[in-house]
Amino acid sequence: MVERLSGGRTALVAGLLLRRTALLVVLLALTFLAVEVLPTDAARATLDREASPAEVAARRIQLGLDQPVVVRFLHWLGGLATGDLGASARGLPIWDVVGQPFRNTLLLGALTLALTVLFALTLGGVSVLRPGRLLDRVVRSTSMVILTLPEFVVANALVVVFALWLHLLPAVTVAGSDGGPRSPVMLILPVLALTVRQIGWNTQIVRSALAEQLPAPHVDSAIMDGLPRHRILLRYLLPGAVPTIAAGLATSVGMVLGGVVAVETIFNFPGMGAVLVDAITNRDAPLVAAVVALTGSVITAVLVAADLVRAWAVGHRP
Amino acid sequence: MSRRRLLQGGAAVGTTLFLAACGAGGSAPAQGPAGPPRAGGTLTLGALGRASAVTRDPHGVQVNESDYLILSLLYDTLTVPGSSPIVAPRLAASWQSSPDLRRWRFELTPGVKFHDGLPLTSEDVVYSMRRLRQSTIGASRLPGIDVQGITADGPGAVVVQSNYPNSEIPVLMRLTTFVLKNGTTDPAGAPGTGPFKLDWYREGNARLVRNEGWYGERAPLDAIEVRMFEKPQAMANALLSGELDLASNVGTVAARVAQGRDGIKIVRRENDTALMVVMRAADGPYADPRVREAFRLAVDRDVMVKQVLGGYGAAGNDILGTADPVYARDLPQRKLDLARATALLDEAGFDRSQRYQVITTEDVPGLSESATLFAQQLNNAGVKIDVVKQESSTFLGQSRGKAPLYTTYWGTNDSVPYCAGKLLLSDSTFNEASWHDADFDSAYRAALSTPEPGRRIQLMHDMQKIEYDRSGYLLWGMAEGMDLAKSTVQGLPQLPGYGRVQLERTWLSA
Repeated sequence: MVERLSGGRTALVAGLLLRRTALLVVLLALTFLAVEVLPTDAARATLDREASPAEVAARRIQLGLDQPVVVRFLHWLGGLATGDLGASARGLPIWDVVGQPFRNTLLLGALTLALTVLFALTLGGVSVLRPGRLLDRVVRSTSMVILTLPEFVVANALVVVFALWLHLLPAVTVAGSDGGPRSPVMLILPVLALTVRQIGWNTQIVRSALAEQLPAPHVDSAIMDGLPRHRILLRYLLPGAVPTIAAGLATSVGMVLGGVVAVETIFNFPGMGAVLVDAITNRDAPLVAAVVALTGSVITAVLVAADLVRAWAVGHRP
Repeated sequence: MSRRRLLQGGAAVGTTLFLAACGAGGSAPAQGPAGPPRAGGTLTLGALGRASAVTRDPHGVQVNESDYLILSLLYDTLTVPGSSPIVAPRLAASWQSSPDLRRWRFELTPGVKFHDGLPLTSEDVVYSMRRLRQSTIGASRLPGIDVQGITADGPGAVVVQSNYPNSEIPVLMRLTTFVLKNGTTDPAGAPGTGPFKLDWYREGNARLVRNEGWYGERAPLDAIEVRMFEKPQAMANALLSGELDLASNVGTVAARVAQGRDGIKIVRRENDTALMVVMRAADGPYADPRVREAFRLAVDRDVMVKQVLGGYGAAGNDILGTADPVYARDLPQRKLDLARATALLDEAGFDRSQRYQVITTEDVPGLSESATLFAQQLNNAGVKIDVVKQESSTFLGQSRGKAPLYTTYWGTNDSVPYCAGKLLLSDSTFNEASWHDADFDSAYRAALSTPEPGRRIQLMHDMQKIEYDRSGYLLWGMAEGMDLAKSTVQGLPQLPGYGRVQLERTWLSA
């Protein structure tokens, strides 16, 4: 019985990974195609304005752009399979271009998610235990409002208030000699700019997921028994709500990565957003695809994890 | 222009025969508190740059200001920009040409050492210039010069052989003839001879420290920290919140934000960027010179400068090279003249029932706004123009040099012949307007092959007259280069264009 169960779980994980990976490969092929249909190519876009048509033509051949897009994609994908991301249109190893920005963006994203989990669980929990009371009403309406605030609005407001007006926090993030943000303080505003909206979104989800558990008989009896509130929340409400909460957080990962481009631009954060924008401007298909592959892998990993959490929670439902 | 000024200008343009035309200091005058520069301190500066375009190769494609700034402080070029004359000595102490202006001999400054202590020789210079010539963009950087044409003449001099007479060779040496050591294959971190040495470099950001062994005057600053910014607005914010001492070339739009702020000064460098509308001359609706003249007369340049540049600029007069001492100031300033414009359009039989397009980009601040205003003003002459905005790469690939009507800009404006060679000559590297004018070409060639300065200036004046009358450009304005700095930053460069990177005389007051 135990063996069958663990075998089933392995198959589940393998199936999930396989499906998600296939999806990623399709996405990468589409990325190459999308760059291909943009006007002009990497040869023109990566030379300076003064380059002559002859110099552009020579570079086109140097970059292999005379080959069909399918050939270029398969060649790149072959390299990817061996962990080689290839070279950018400016001739740099792609890992050298994206490695540090990827780590910086991951740090930004991880802090954002951690803060989101903390706030969403606290606010959602506090709110659900006092249904209809002032605190609950405030949490519900505020989270609804901030959920609609785009990241760039929040980011600009934070810069104006905390950097330009109060002079409390730096307006921008600059990289130090190790490639990461020069000071941890520089992370505060970018993380807040990304977190505010996610707190709104996830508080809503946490609250309703927990509220769904309220009518369950075992919860009812726990309340009747007069158990402490935090105990009811953690032992009786939360386990049943976990699948929904995990799914909500998983969608947040995608939303955070979307917001990253705007937030990184405003704070000059040395992350993937700028690399992606530049790569598109440069018509640099391998670089765009590398960004998609890396962020896609992160999202894939999070989605698989969320699926597993859900499967696990359903299996352990009291 | 008086004869006397002409002659002074002549001395400024280049060299007189067998006589080094140099010696005058090239750096811009220091402004600010009186007294000698105070030594010490670290200048933290912001410069624009894109993460994916970062390069550490001084002979590579430099898109990023931040990279160019770092390279210019680490590596020396043979000559550097000056105000008057526009070429000042650096690694080359003096230069002279053969009577036919084809063979140029550059005498190297004595006592120059690389950052690792080894002395500079002519072999290093020859190696570096050949490396530049063989790079992807070498042909445009060193036009008319072959690899074999760059040779050593003993340990202390190099000879550059041009395929045609060229009085402007010293000007060409200003921008990218960065010197590496002979045999350098990996330029990242390779020692240079510049006023600053590399402390660390990471993804476009760097810290540089003073080179105590520099052959020039000792730089006052202990160190310079360069921070790369993708957007001017973020750079301006960083300066306003006190994180930067200097926001280099932040642009007119971002600089306006800082107006009237305590402790912050706006550094304005005139003649920085030329803003133009290109009218295709070879064929199409603007092939008739009368139509181009009409367009030039239908524009109110003062209004353009005021609205597009916020007043940080000057009206243009359709001639490139406004900061050149030989710039033809005597030609009357073109002004709005709608009556004459409409008459010319009628004369040329221009079809005003049609709609036309002007292609524009957001490559430099104000460019797309200038297209909108241009279209509105042309409407007053009865010409209906739609503005089409293109993204930068698309524009470069599809429209530049091809579209009948588009906006463009140009950043090196201190040399009339340099601009002519790049943009106006029939076979120039980028003849944006497809303008072919035999008179202009021959005046240009004659100017470049005339050793006698007075005669050369006259020929350059002829060139400018033709350009003024018939070229495919409507040069409506010269945008100022704008830097923002804390008021404690002194001795900042005042030169237009790439002169802004010369920070070896900059200092911090208490």
